[in-house]
Amino acid sequence: MELLEGIQTGLLTALSWHALLYCFIGVSVGTFVGVLPGIGALAAISLALPLTYYLDPTDALIMLAGIFYGAQYGGSTASILLNLPGTATAAITCLDGYPLAQQGKAPLAIFVTAINSFVGSSIAILLVMGFAPVIAEFALEFGAEDYFAVILLGLVAASTLTIGSPFKALSMVALGLLLGMVGTDVNTGQFRFTFGFFELADGFSIVAVAMGLFGVSEIIANIGQSQSVIQKVGHIRFRDMLPTRAEWRQIIWPTLRGSGIGSFVGALPGTGPGIASLMAYATELRLSKTPERFGNGALEGISAPEAANNASVQSAFIPMLSLGIPGDAIVAVLMGAMILHGITPGPNLINQEPQMFWGLIMSFWVGNLMLLILNIPLIGMWVKLLSIPYHLLYPGILVFICIGVYSADNNVFDIFVVLGFGVLGYIMRRTGFPATPVLLGFILGPLLEENFRRAMLLSKGDATVFFTSPISAVFMVLSLIFISSVFVPGLRDRLARKRPEVVEDPE
Amino acid sequence: MHRRVLLATAAAMLALATGFSGSAALAADTYPEKPVTIVVPFPPGGSTDLLARKLGESIGEQLGQPVVVENRGGAGGTVGANYVASSDADGYTLLMGVTGSNAISAALRDDLPYNPVTDFDPVSIVISSPLALVVNADSDFKSVQDVLTYATENPDTFTHGTPGVGTSMHMAGELFGLKSGTKLVHVPYKGSAAALQDLLGGRIDAMFGDILVTSEYINSGRLTALGVTGTQEHFLLEDVPTIAEAGLPDYAAFSWQGVFAPAGTPPENLAKLYDAISTALGSDDLQSLFRERGFLVEGMTPADSKAFIASEVEKWTAVVDAAGLKK
Repeated sequence: MELLEGIQTGLLTALSWHALLYCFIGVSVGTFVGVLPGIGALAAISLALPLTYYLDPTDALIMLAGIFYGAQYGGSTASILLNLPGTATAAITCLDGYPLAQQGKAPLAIFVTAINSFVGSSIAILLVMGFAPVIAEFALEFGAEDYFAVILLGLVAASTLTIGSPFKALSMVALGLLLGMVGTDVNTGQFRFTFGFFELADGFSIVAVAMGLFGVSEIIANIGQSQSVIQKVGHIRFRDMLPTRAEWRQIIWPTLRGSGIGSFVGALPGTGPGIASLMAYATELRLSKTPERFGNGALEGISAPEAANNASVQSAFIPMLSLGIPGDAIVAVLMGAMILHGITPGPNLINQEPQMFWGLIMSFWVGNLMLLILNIPLIGMWVKLLSIPYHLLYPGILVFICIGVYSADNNVFDIFVVLGFGVLGYIMRRTGFPATPVLLGFILGPLLEENFRRAMLLSKGDATVFFTSPISAVFMVLSLIFISSVFVPGLRDRLARKRPEVVEDPE
Repeated sequence: MHRRVLLATAAAMLALATGFSGSAALAADTYPEKPVTIVVPFPPGGSTDLLARKLGESIGEQLGQPVVVENRGGAGGTVGANYVASSDADGYTLLMGVTGSNAISAALRDDLPYNPVTDFDPVSIVISSPLALVVNADSDFKSVQDVLTYATENPDTFTHGTPGVGTSMHMAGELFGLKSGTKLVHVPYKGSAAALQDLLGGRIDAMFGDILVTSEYINSGRLTALGVTGTQEHFLLEDVPTIAEAGLPDYAAFSWQGVFAPAGTPPENLAKLYDAISTALGSDDLQSLFRERGFLVEGMTPADSKAFIASEVEKWTAVVDAAGLKK
């Protein structure tokens, strides 16, 4: 009954004309910043936040949240069309999205990601509606050792099953881990590997690393090309976008699994959509009977991560709305927006501000429907972008990347960082070293270290804590199974048959 | 909104007029002739950002020039502070500085590229805010005395979570250990939210936390406040004693926020800014913000602020040295 009442209150709020208007503005802005490489949700929300000071708090929050999840829809578009991730979290979508576009299946790929995004969001919103307080309390059970074990599993799962040469992939994971070491040591406050650059005190920015390795390197690789990606884009028919029956079957399970992984990861504060999509991709690769298709345009390779990052963004609201704990930097800014409107999120938010709580959640439905409706007709327009000649398109994109990286902290230094990583990414391409494992190590490494050291600090140096905590023990055992499956002969043989062939250097 | 634009336009025209007819002697009177930037060394949405925007709005109206807030986050506020320290000392680039960026970092770090004492001319320490020593509501600790007894009997066992090394929360904990002759275990996190999560989950014993944020959990019965770190009880937490009253005499720690200009800024400009800030602090808008957020109004003069910063740096240097935290 309480749920129905809430839904009713929420719908009344979310369907008022002003809420609809701000929701529409939010998701449209979100879609655009998502599509534009470099400018992500964090930058857009930070810029939009001061504008909301004069709005009604619920409208303000509906709009800012719309930018947040809207960006996840748009993020994959540039990954598919241009091999340039629109947002840092969509980097993984390049792997199979771009090959699909090269096979002329760009409309299909974008359509599929829109559906994945919608399904992923919907599942997570259902969880938020029905179980937010329960899930939030469960997430409180996760201690540092449990986080460590979950992240370790993610790292192990993803790095034992990378496409291409295992040696090259593992060495790139190590590079990522090393890059993640740069910055302030959480436990002692010491600056590490900053080499006198004070700007590195917080480490490399994730946006700069992802945009450099995936975006700028792609642009460098195309210097000298004078033509457009495709010379002529014919009229795109709706039929071109629709998956066949076999393709639907291909994506159903990856989408659902991705949604599940995303919802779980998103609800854990401190993780985020980047981790969700990496884990979802690794899971599909692991479960696939034909892993050799991954990296060559497997629909599962875009479905799972796209469902996962959208689900994770929606479920990231669970700890914030039910406990007042923001799960990542973007949610923290959203929470800041609530606080500056005089509403401090805490365990009583649902009871004290039911109109805002339910209004926001019901606006998620409204916003996601808008996004679905908005995105499908836009597919034709985005694909037409490909007919813009390189010499016009790429300088433009480079400008957007620089603006996006700069606007995160208003720091010029980050522009040099993104260009540096662009050069590194280009060298890696020429030498056949994959960029995804770098990102994996870079995102997971610092979390792994932080939680390991905190677990050891709280257990007074007793390492058995990783096996005595039940949650941690389960994930540690899963990690061990993964690792041993690589070394135990019987399993290894089975795996060897499954392991994809070394993919040729794309150059 | 309209009024502000009109005011700004009128003032700009006035400035233009005096500029044409004026002489060099009038230079100070014409300040500000262009928009003033307040750098907030944190991302938007935090309490420093909010204070800077509300304050900036009022200063802008009074001085007839728009005040732009620019967020330059990073490294606990020190990246933004460093940027302002090396900006032109003309009164057009100001910093919304905090305890960490403008006092504790001086005590803690040798590798800071700016000197928080000599590189800034403070305009005014605007507000201060004590912290609350909070524990999980299910905890066995019912009073500051309980904590003192436990920490004395079990050195290096009582854990307190903070948003990071060198934050005012961290220093409040170190000072607690120093004054009581005990040793607490400092558990640093990346931000308050993660520390709060572990406190709610019962994995750390306590936090010296922001009063506004923790009061939500205190009111909902998830956390218990054992004491406030200020010199008097706080209006958001009625019936919670100060830590000094509750068993640790002389203990006082609080965070503060203030407006800073690069060292060498013309004193006339500082005086103008200070007058505008004083007037702003009396406005209903800011008064209600202070009540809501639990801030205590300070509004110190530039001279008092300078002396205050020196005393803060001295205080935290003593704590850092005694605790052996120097980098």
